[in-house]
Amino acid sequence: MPSAPALEFRNVAKVFDGLRLFDDLSFGIGKGEFFVILGPSGCGKTTLLRLIAGLESVDGGDILLHGAPIHNVAPGDRGVAMVFQDYALYPHMSVADNLAFGLRNARVPADEISRRINDAARALAIEPFLDRKPGKLSGGQQQRVALARALVRRPDLLLMDEPLSSLDPALRLRTRRELAHISKTLAATTVMVTHDQVEAMTLASRIMVMHEHRIQQIGTPLEIFMRPANVFVAQFVGATPMNVLAGNLRQTARGKAGFDLDGTLIATAIKHPGLPESPSWRLGLRAEDITLTAPDAGQIRATVGFVERLGEQSWVHVVLGDGREVVATQTGVSQYSDGDAVGLSFDGARAHLFDADGMAYHADVS
Amino acid sequence: MTERRGWTHLLFVLPFLAVYLWLLVYPLLTGVSLSLHRANLFGGATFIGLENYTRLFRDATFRQALGNTVLFVALCVPVLVTVALALALALNRAGRFAAALRSIVFASSVLSVTVMTIVWRQVLTVDGGLLSHVAQGVGARPLAFLSDPHLVLPSLVLITVWWSLGLPMILFLSALQQIPRSVYEAAALDRATPWSVFRHVTLPALTPALLLVIAYECALQFQLFGQPQLLTQGGPNGASRPMVLYIYETGFNHWDVGYAAAASQILFALILVVALVPQLARRLWGRA
Amino acid sequence: MSAVAIAPINTRGRQTWAWLRLAFCASMLAFVLLPLLWAVYLSFRPNVELMRHAPLKLTGPYTLDNYIELFRNATLFRWFFNSMVVSGASVAGVLVLSSLAGFAFGRLQFPGRNWLYALVLMGLAIPDQSVILTRHQIFSDLHWHNSYLALILPGLSAPLGVFLMTEAFRALPKSLEDAARLDGASTFSTFWHILLPQTVPALASLAIYTFLLSWNDYWWPLISATRPAMFTLTEGMAAAQSNYIEVTGMGVLTAQAVVAGLPVLIIYILFQKHIVGAVTGMVKL
Repeated sequence: MPSAPALEFRNVAKVFDGLRLFDDLSFGIGKGEFFVILGPSGCGKTTLLRLIAGLESVDGGDILLHGAPIHNVAPGDRGVAMVFQDYALYPHMSVADNLAFGLRNARVPADEISRRINDAARALAIEPFLDRKPGKLSGGQQQRVALARALVRRPDLLLMDEPLSSLDPALRLRTRRELAHISKTLAATTVMVTHDQVEAMTLASRIMVMHEHRIQQIGTPLEIFMRPANVFVAQFVGATPMNVLAGNLRQTARGKAGFDLDGTLIATAIKHPGLPESPSWRLGLRAEDITLTAPDAGQIRATVGFVERLGEQSWVHVVLGDGREVVATQTGVSQYSDGDAVGLSFDGARAHLFDADGMAYHADVS
Repeated sequence: MTERRGWTHLLFVLPFLAVYLWLLVYPLLTGVSLSLHRANLFGGATFIGLENYTRLFRDATFRQALGNTVLFVALCVPVLVTVALALALALNRAGRFAAALRSIVFASSVLSVTVMTIVWRQVLTVDGGLLSHVAQGVGARPLAFLSDPHLVLPSLVLITVWWSLGLPMILFLSALQQIPRSVYEAAALDRATPWSVFRHVTLPALTPALLLVIAYECALQFQLFGQPQLLTQGGPNGASRPMVLYIYETGFNHWDVGYAAAASQILFALILVVALVPQLARRLWGRA
Repeated sequence: MSAVAIAPINTRGRQTWAWLRLAFCASMLAFVLLPLLWAVYLSFRPNVELMRHAPLKLTGPYTLDNYIELFRNATLFRWFFNSMVVSGASVAGVLVLSSLAGFAFGRLQFPGRNWLYALVLMGLAIPDQSVILTRHQIFSDLHWHNSYLALILPGLSAPLGVFLMTEAFRALPKSLEDAARLDGASTFSTFWHILLPQTVPALASLAIYTFLLSWNDYWWPLISATRPAMFTLTEGMAAAQSNYIEVTGMGVLTAQAVVAGLPVLIIYILFQKHIVGAVTGMVKL
């Protein structure tokens, strides 16, 4: 992480209707980062964004922008701009006036205002709409206007609250790619909130996963995916939730942990001596690390429950002897049908272990 | 939750609050105090306790006005609500005729009471009124709608219904339009008869509006004033004098303002009771 | 699927209902329109014909004399002008006071807000008749009767506008206000530049409603404006009908009613949608 964080949370607390929403929240964001806060709805991620913007007040701890606390700075003076989920464009103003409103309030000279509007309009390809009212624009165009309105302020920090969620799926993909491109060229420090892990994975330089008002993990997209900090992250991130199976822990001959799944031993690459005491253990394996074989060719026998065919790959839900369900990935269109007998082969080297508290343990990176 | 708070925001409500307290709340409270005084319009007030109130109940003119008012409300509100409801049900449909009729019915409510009484004077008067012409046309004796003590209150009901139909009709229509079409379609699929659709779908949806309209119209019609003041001056023999006219005459013709204030408190209490009864009924039915 | 599932339509019953409905609508149309048409008819009839109660004839004679007589009378114009001043100022005053207060009640936090709003809503239950005696004394003590101010001010104390505007401001998305704050707008600038323009439909309804209420008010002008020069048109129509037999005659009186009724009818026809909007807005109470 860079030495001087652009934004830092120090033990931040927030009370809402007498309820402690956040308690002792600390993290930092480096200059130029695209920082994504990812979590299911209701996890407190939008409140976090509003705390940064100054739309909510902090009830404990400090928020620092470039090392300086910002409690007593009005929202408009924080050097922060925001793209709202519903865009919140001023309906009665033309696009140009929408962009100019904040600049006029900041007493930016008129010629500077028109220069900045033209720059932003060019960068976001909204020049043809400058004289139109927002209501006459499509969802994607409105989204770009909202982004332009944030960018003309030349903010130190750009905040985005679910900026793509109001778009239909096809437009969302296109806009996501545009956003990736724009953020690369601008190199502005950005904090984005989303519940969509694909957006997080594709846009973020780092992701902070939140759940029930707590930070679950902060890391690069690859870290979050490869080395999830706990069961929640492991199951929240990924195209289909990670398979998590209860069983017994054994030590294998080579000092690695083995996992006893109904008498079938799955050898992992995780060092056994480093693991703490825990009353129970669970094994985590992504669907793509489980291979379907002929009924007797795998490590364990199972029956196909049902198949989801996505086109380029299929998710085969299989039922183990004891009724537990596991999802395995097959490339291409699966030929299995419900009730087929299959064998499963586990790629133990890619397995994760979770202790009774849900903490994750991974194989060392070689 | 907004973070904008503080005393300075009071400045936004202050202009209205000042006028509101000065010209509505203060006069209401001083009105109560005035009713406990013997006072005339030009100052000079003596505290006399409840004497004005006891005097009122011995006052035959007041008792007659009270009776007239209650009778008027009891006649007017049921007719008004029934006709407005029937109109709303009949006109709750698309189409030019229904839209035009809705507009025409509401139009009479935008006329002032003074214009409205001029119009109706020419309809009701014995000397060349529209109804006299009609009566002569069919060979009947013209009726003295405004000077016959038995006809004068029903006549006031008639013209008040004509004048006030628009508002309850609009309120019923807007309640009807909030019933989703799909409910009627579902009822049709369930082979419901028109009566049971009305009984189980339309009427329950209308109940809140119905109670609101009854309460509002009772409160409004208790304040009957302009129609008799302009058309009959309360006559003949006080047969059409309502309470507000009594208050007006007592306060501004006889300058007995303390006494008028007491009458006005009684009317206010009556209005509050009739406005609150439907609300209570709603609470009770809501629980049952 | 079997075709029997659909209930047979009772065609005869339906037709009876349709006829009843039509008959009801037609009689209501006659009930509402005939008095108005009768008044218009009388206003074009010569006064002599009216005085001798000539039988009803649609063939005439007709005359414009009543209207000509009317427009010779300067007081009518004075009353019309007074009504315009009073109603116009009432609309402006109500819009300013209600939108300021509605914004604060709907979107701002301040000490005692809920308590004050409850106090304002209570005012909706106060009928004019229970304040008019003491209100009259307030203006007497100030020697303000027979002035425009006295005719305008009481209308500004009605809380309905504050209620309608509070609802209108509450209905606006929170994000709009947040965006303005991030754009560095002050509280007043947020109100004036961003939120108030979104409430234009509610403002229009309130304006029309206030105009009609003020234009048609009879009680208060009757008490406060005692000099004929300060009469509003509505009050003037009362004075005209109390002495029509001696002074003007029925034809002129009816012509006056037509002339006095026309402005509100025109406003009603032009802004019907807004009036209905204001009226149905009250149901949310």
